[in-house]
Amino acid sequence: MRRKNKGAIRETSKFAKILIYIPLVLLSVIIIVPVFWVFMASIKENSEFYRNPWALPEGIYLQNFADAWESANMASYMLNSVVVTVIAIFLLIIIALPASYVLARFKFKSSKFWNVLFMAGLFINVNYIVVPIFLMLTDADRFLNKTVGHTVFLNNLFVLAVVYAATALPFTIYLLSGYFKTLAKDYEEAAYVDGAGYFRTMVQIIIPMAKPSIVTVILFNFLAFWNEYIISMTLLTKPELKTLPVGLMNLMAAQRSAVQYGRMYAGLVIVMLPTLILYMCVQKKLTQGMTVGGLKG
Amino acid sequence: MGSNKGRGRFIFCCLAPAAILFVIFMIYPTIEVFRMSMYKWGGYTANKTFVGLQNFQTLFKSDKFYQSFQNTILLIIIVTIFTFAFALVFAAILTREKIKGQNFFRIIFYIPNILSVVVISAIFSAIYDPNQGLMNSFLNLFRGPAGAEDPILWLGSQKLVIYSIVIAMIWQAIGYYMVMYMASMANVPESLYESAGLEGAGRVKQFFSITLPLIWTNIRTTLTFFIISTINMSFLFVKAMTNGGPDGASHVFLSYMYQEAYTNSSYGYGMAIGAVVFIFSFALAGVLNAVTKREEIEF
Amino acid sequence: MKMKKALGLLLAGTMVLSLVACGGSGDGGSSDGGDSKEEAKSDGGSTLKVAAVETAYGASMWEKVCEAFEASHDGVTVELTIDKKLEDVIDPDMKAGNFPDVILRAVGGEKALTETFVKDNNLTELTDVLDMTVPGEDVKVGDKILPGFTENTIVNPYGDGKTYLMPMFYGPCGLFYNAALLKEKGWEVPETWDEMWELGDKAKAEGIALFTYPTTGYFDAFFYALLHEALGEENFAKALKYEEGIWNTPEAQQVFDVIAKLASYTEKTTPANANDNDFQKNQQLVLDNKAIFMPNGNWVIGEMAEAPRAEGFEWGFTALPAVEEGGERASYSFFEQVWMPKEAVNVDLGKEFIAYLYSDEAAEIFATEGGAVQPIAGMTDKLSGDAVTYYQIYDTGAVAVLDAFATTEPVEGLTTRGAFFDPVNSLVTGDKTQEQWVKEFAEASDAFRGALKE
Repeated sequence: MRRKNKGAIRETSKFAKILIYIPLVLLSVIIIVPVFWVFMASIKENSEFYRNPWALPEGIYLQNFADAWESANMASYMLNSVVVTVIAIFLLIIIALPASYVLARFKFKSSKFWNVLFMAGLFINVNYIVVPIFLMLTDADRFLNKTVGHTVFLNNLFVLAVVYAATALPFTIYLLSGYFKTLAKDYEEAAYVDGAGYFRTMVQIIIPMAKPSIVTVILFNFLAFWNEYIISMTLLTKPELKTLPVGLMNLMAAQRSAVQYGRMYAGLVIVMLPTLILYMCVQKKLTQGMTVGGLKG
Repeated sequence: MGSNKGRGRFIFCCLAPAAILFVIFMIYPTIEVFRMSMYKWGGYTANKTFVGLQNFQTLFKSDKFYQSFQNTILLIIIVTIFTFAFALVFAAILTREKIKGQNFFRIIFYIPNILSVVVISAIFSAIYDPNQGLMNSFLNLFRGPAGAEDPILWLGSQKLVIYSIVIAMIWQAIGYYMVMYMASMANVPESLYESAGLEGAGRVKQFFSITLPLIWTNIRTTLTFFIISTINMSFLFVKAMTNGGPDGASHVFLSYMYQEAYTNSSYGYGMAIGAVVFIFSFALAGVLNAVTKREEIEF
Repeated sequence: MKMKKALGLLLAGTMVLSLVACGGSGDGGSSDGGDSKEEAKSDGGSTLKVAAVETAYGASMWEKVCEAFEASHDGVTVELTIDKKLEDVIDPDMKAGNFPDVILRAVGGEKALTETFVKDNNLTELTDVLDMTVPGEDVKVGDKILPGFTENTIVNPYGDGKTYLMPMFYGPCGLFYNAALLKEKGWEVPETWDEMWELGDKAKAEGIALFTYPTTGYFDAFFYALLHEALGEENFAKALKYEEGIWNTPEAQQVFDVIAKLASYTEKTTPANANDNDFQKNQQLVLDNKAIFMPNGNWVIGEMAEAPRAEGFEWGFTALPAVEEGGERASYSFFEQVWMPKEAVNVDLGKEFIAYLYSDEAAEIFATEGGAVQPIAGMTDKLSGDAVTYYQIYDTGAVAVLDAFATTEPVEGLTTRGAFFDPVNSLVTGDKTQEQWVKEFAEASDAFRGALKE
């Protein structure tokens, strides 16, 4: 794909190239140093925190991790987080994909209405609707308690996942339908000519093309769900159901009243490590997706 | 190609689940916010008193509300400008230039975005520490002995604190938008650049005449989204870093709302702030949408 | 930080004297039983729901006390919820209508849980608990509790002589410093504020700041003590009810002058770390001999136990200096409170449980398991080691102050801490002048007065 003449242009500007590297390297340093510092702090002993915070650790004190993992229950919080995140992303994708496709490529009576409504959803801030959501679920539980005899909605990881998926819908639909809108009509027309129905066209032709966008959606929402704590804190009140960020906050509360810095930073590492690892894996897919998307035109 | 009925059914099946969830978990609660903003309610008891628009009247007389308003606007403007400028330039460099370790840079730049705000706030609090923080130790190289005697209080000075939060927010946001723009820049056909190159247009010119116009739709949409999320993110940062301090100097919309609703037993008042934020975000997005409207460029 | 409120303060015989004035009808006996809704069905199988905040005292003392209560009460099960973030855990349940029967959470917490219940008139009256006999003993609860603790605006929030909250663990608050540093330099602990300023100038010459504070939240205790010194008992009580014009009196002016002057002697980086995350850095200033005094409570010792310190460091603790030569020296007593929401189901059992908390058995468990001291006469005799020093501060003649600002209806946009104490940060950085602060202070006070509970 790359042509020779491009190289020719580039050779003339070695100076420009150095100029380009300087900000890149600078920004990398600015980003890496603080993150590295957290990893460093997580293996320090408590007494070291009162000295220069930028000093290297005196040794590798892994007890911090054991403390965080066991006494702060990070292990079970992590499992809860995984369950909620996976279910929420799965729900989100199977619900948002068809909706985005329909909203982007079909004209029907209320299509304008729904498009605008979902757009409007982008401006709804989860932080202030969480209490009405909670009250609604509470009322539902009260009703169930009276009629069926037990409650379902609160303290339920699945319900939390549904709420996550629901609150992520506007952004996801926005992103996906934005992509669907850029596709040429030819794809569907060709499929219809071949005799494929609407459903088959969507599943077999359109959705595979949207793979890069879907990866983006998954990546973004994974991070949002994994790091979310306000909804989680409100809807899951039983200690054994806490998700990782809520657990981390508990750890930080403990650190404040009993000064366990090392344990807190170990907790921070435990929270960010899975995202870092997963990101490194998805990163490749993302790159792939970009070249696939680049084929067009 | 299928009957009208089949088409209708298909549309319905695709849209219904999303629409139902969306209405139940987003539209209805939002209406509730507006409804509750007209009550005086402590949060626990059943006795809610209807007070009409009184909460709003109090709100518009409150200096603290205007302070949080001002801070929010300031954050939106500065963070947006810097984040977008950096993100676009770096995205362009990484997609257009042949850079060694391109992938490496991309991975690194994205890292802040995958970190929890709690983690980032902990990091920046340490960086801003007046005596031992990285920021002051670095600046002291230039300031000499004056630096040690009169340290800069990044989070302690009322004039600086909001900018300290700005820095943390930009640090966090650049990567996210960069990756997004890289994705859309990769869609810009190579041939356009080639012909521009043949015509003698330099990189900078190419950036402004090809890259920017062609991904303008994407910029527009992300811009709107970014501003909404800034209102939200600024809350998370403020909450974790300063909790509105010192002396209320760093409060933003939602942190002020939280303080009122949860620590001052003024739940309805808090919801009134929520209602104002909602209207504000809506209006702002509308304005932006109108201002950034350009002829869409097909490619 | 949480520990601050989690502790209370003080004691000693002198306290009795200091509290005579504020004591209203202290017998607390004439209870009408309040509005206990349903009688607990003590059919032998009742479950009592207790929620307590976990503080530096740890969770085990509560677990043990609940076990002991179960052991002495047949068929009773205690369901204990104990968490460092108690509000987060029980809040959703309470919003759904499931309230614990008994809650231990002091006023002044970050989420103001207790204040919310007080402001909402959402508490069960506990006056009759004072008249109950302590389970397993033949003493009345009211007679066991130290004087003063049941006669203040914190536990009688509506000023009607009725008790809605019961006093729990207490501890002393005052100024903490490095005793070794003062000894080494040959400096005396100031007994008046004038001596304080002299010391401040001497210290400044050696590059040491006179003062620092963990967060502005620590000024409430400091302020109450100072206000008591300057205004005297009678006007102090008026000030706590936001009496009109009280802040314009010359006495109140003294209080503002002292705090503003103190702000000018405050270590410069203090406001930068004066938040709930970094307040320990300010406490560290004292350990490092960079600042001499800070307002605090005895929990600070445990809080900073692992922190490095200047050589020979030795904690010193003093009441506030007097406003004038020979004047009163005061210190504030923090104490926690235990209370019952109005919606509590097992009202009688809950009261029985609260009464039990004052038994020798329970107090012993609290003291030995967690080091928490109940406001019961004679408890301090059982203390050992360091703790004794702090609980004996009042032996030196310092006056104990227990009261707090009167409860108001919620005032939208105003909190006492936000309006009264947060501006101290601005005084230190110079973003606000004393005049601005006093003006805001008086305006806020006017607003609170208008919202006072009848």
